[in-house]
Amino acid sequence: MSIKKITKQAFANFIDNLIKTATVYGVQPKGERFDFAPLASAKDLRLDYDVTLLPPKRFFQPTTETLLTFDGEGRYKSNFDNENFILLGVHPYDMVAINQMDKIFSKDYYDEHYMKRRNNATIIACDVLTPSENVFAASMGMATVSEGFDILLTDIGDGYVAEAGTEKGNALLAKAETTDANEKDLEKRQKLQQDNQKNLNKHKLKCKPSDIPNLLERAYKHPVWEEKAKTCFSCGSCNTVCPTCYCFNVQDSFNWDLKSGKRQRTWDGCLLDGFTKVAGEHEFRSNRADRFRHRFYRKGKYVPEKLNGQISCVGCGRCVGACLPDIANPVKVFNRLVDDLGLL
Amino acid sequence: MSNKPRVAVFDFACCEGCQLQIVNLEEEILDLIGAVDVVEWREAMSEQSSNYDVAIIEGSITRPEDEERLWLIRSRAKVLIALGACATIGGINKLKNNFDLRDVKKWVYGKDAEKPHLNTELTRSVAQVVKVDYLIHGCPIDRKEFTYIMRCILTGKKPEIPEWPVCVECKLKDNRCLWETGQTCLGPIIRAGCGARCPSSGFRCFGCRGYVNNPNINAAKDVIERYGLDVEVLKRKMNLFGSGNTQVTANG
Amino acid sequence: MGQSCCSSMKRDIYLPRPATVKKSRMMNGTELYIHIEMDEEPLDFLPGQFVEVSIAGFGEAPITISSSPTRKDGFELVVRKTGNVTNAIHKLKGGDKLGIRGPLGNGAYPVEQTKGKDLVFICGGIGLVPQRSFINYALDKRADYGKISILLGTKCRDQRFFHSEIANWKTRSDVTFMETIDQADNCWLDDVGVVTTLIPKIDYDFSKSIFLVCGPPVMYKFVLLSLKKENVPPENIYVNLERKMKCGVGKCGHCQINDKYVCIDGPVFRYSDLASVPEAI
Repeated sequence: MSIKKITKQAFANFIDNLIKTATVYGVQPKGERFDFAPLASAKDLRLDYDVTLLPPKRFFQPTTETLLTFDGEGRYKSNFDNENFILLGVHPYDMVAINQMDKIFSKDYYDEHYMKRRNNATIIACDVLTPSENVFAASMGMATVSEGFDILLTDIGDGYVAEAGTEKGNALLAKAETTDANEKDLEKRQKLQQDNQKNLNKHKLKCKPSDIPNLLERAYKHPVWEEKAKTCFSCGSCNTVCPTCYCFNVQDSFNWDLKSGKRQRTWDGCLLDGFTKVAGEHEFRSNRADRFRHRFYRKGKYVPEKLNGQISCVGCGRCVGACLPDIANPVKVFNRLVDDLGLL
Repeated sequence: MSNKPRVAVFDFACCEGCQLQIVNLEEEILDLIGAVDVVEWREAMSEQSSNYDVAIIEGSITRPEDEERLWLIRSRAKVLIALGACATIGGINKLKNNFDLRDVKKWVYGKDAEKPHLNTELTRSVAQVVKVDYLIHGCPIDRKEFTYIMRCILTGKKPEIPEWPVCVECKLKDNRCLWETGQTCLGPIIRAGCGARCPSSGFRCFGCRGYVNNPNINAAKDVIERYGLDVEVLKRKMNLFGSGNTQVTANG
Repeated sequence: MGQSCCSSMKRDIYLPRPATVKKSRMMNGTELYIHIEMDEEPLDFLPGQFVEVSIAGFGEAPITISSSPTRKDGFELVVRKTGNVTNAIHKLKGGDKLGIRGPLGNGAYPVEQTKGKDLVFICGGIGLVPQRSFINYALDKRADYGKISILLGTKCRDQRFFHSEIANWKTRSDVTFMETIDQADNCWLDDVGVVTTLIPKIDYDFSKSIFLVCGPPVMYKFVLLSLKKENVPPENIYVNLERKMKCGVGKCGHCQINDKYVCIDGPVFRYSDLASVPEAI
């Protein structure tokens, strides 16, 4: 795969040309924050952003999507999104999260609804220029990324180093006016990436991410779950903003003919009241603290078991900022466990 | 006579804004009146009827004669729906329950306060008076939720109304938390289903849909403290829609 | 155990397959028996597996198959009204169409591993429904298994069902059938009390028997405690768990108990595998 250098002007031309023929979602300001939104011009793009409000997972698993439609005779038809699109400005930690979700949705039972969108997407990732207030991706070893993207951009001041990660990325990059990246460019890139591996660390984990499953193994009855959950609203904000939360609900609705309709899935969250309620009203995880604990075990133990041990918290820090009572910070919880239980 | 369910709409103490939301359904109003026979609806037609299957009640109950009328409607209807915050939780009308009723009457009616036709009692929601089958929350109601619930009723399905707080929908809308901007938003303890309409427009949640089933008061106090606010501030904000007990569920 | 997953099949995992109701009837005041046949390929299932029953507009409900795969014409379910979908299922009549996804659940009953062993089925109320699949499977392959006991506990007399089948089990010499009800009335001649009272009445070598347990959530604790008292090793106990299995394919997260998904790792679990799954029982 090629590693090119592209000047900022050439990059702007490249993007403006892309917009003419493709749907591009790029990072842009939303109020005082940032968000992925349809890009109208390269000048609206803000690759120096800190973090987006919602992670890019919604482009693959929309907040609401129609899985099936049914006609008046009860015949079902799958519904798929077939639009090709480009996602521009994905940060490394979010890219890691997408890589994890790809495994989750393709493993065992292949989820075509997710995977179609994923395969229709071209992802242009970019290294972080401005660390966000709560980022701790460095603690999780996810401040940089080496796979999953089609193109990875690194801002080196007078331009970008653009590395193609796939054939799709290679072909796309060929449309831009580039030169081969020279040694000096690559040094600058390496410097920025090494800095990020140190600096994207506003909350410092006191252990290696790989220590977390064992730590949790011993922490099931630790008082921290009850203590923190005392002030949990069960609002699911930590779930909603998390790039690796993928639980969903499925609901049918009728059209106005009261016969045909659709089956939709929507985002759900394990912190929410009623998440485990079965028909007949029995709720299995009705206790707030149990739900609170479940989230940490999902991130640090259960989901990693499906991902060859990779921890399912990428250190984006969104949950830290989204949690009004300030109890969701994974680093605080894991550090507390390290302090109390020690490392083996 | 058709086999379509006969629907009647009634109003009590309210601004009729929720009925207006039904009138404003645009194309969907045709779907709705195609699926049901509307037999009484003061705001939209002049006919009246005492024969109906579904009664939609807007407004809260504030006078003795209201209670009698509501009992009569209940006895005639197979299904009774409380429409909008006044009907589901008592709404803004419940504010008056915080004061002495004599003072309230004096403030509002001045020298006429004691006239018999201005008699008023403590405000109650519809469910505090009669059995309610379905609650359609909000001030005003959400049109999409209204049509969803109507289609559920017409197909014999129990509608799924969110049990979680407004924060869920607010985050899904990609909003910045209003607490960060210094607003005392009630989102974390108020039932979702509105699509976070107010926060998405920059206004804090006023709580018009009532509390979630299991609001965490400890958490609310903790947050108030952390933001250096007075609990009284929160209480005052909650009073607008939250005077008295506002935690209700349909008991049908 | 179980079937391999279907990642190789390029079929939408959420798309139900068409099926037709052959027969449906109420079995008592609450339980509907329903016999279903797939319109295209027949359902190739193992005892203990479940299907997602899809009623357009109402949604899907996970329901464990109650019939044995040894009986070839379609499959049977027993459904209690508990929500929108099951209410809609109760309205189905012979000839009606519905959608089926499945069979689901890689954790089926251990029909192969338990060959040659003595089997004790402990059923609480509608817990009989999934157990019946393995019971009839074992009876149809009677020579493959050792002694077979069925213990059934029901709340009260009018909640019982499968009367003729139970009558048949009672008369068979190669089956021990014992029954109890919690609240007896004048017409009841059998045991009274909860199902655990029947356990000591079994005269097997408990260390070599296989115990299969299914019932409402509250029942497991008591039954498992009784079995512990009788020194039954946890490896010999299988439990059939119920959770909110929404997607049925291990994605949606609702049925998760600690690191296990009831829908793909179960719904039948070997009790010894649940030692580190405190949310299970």
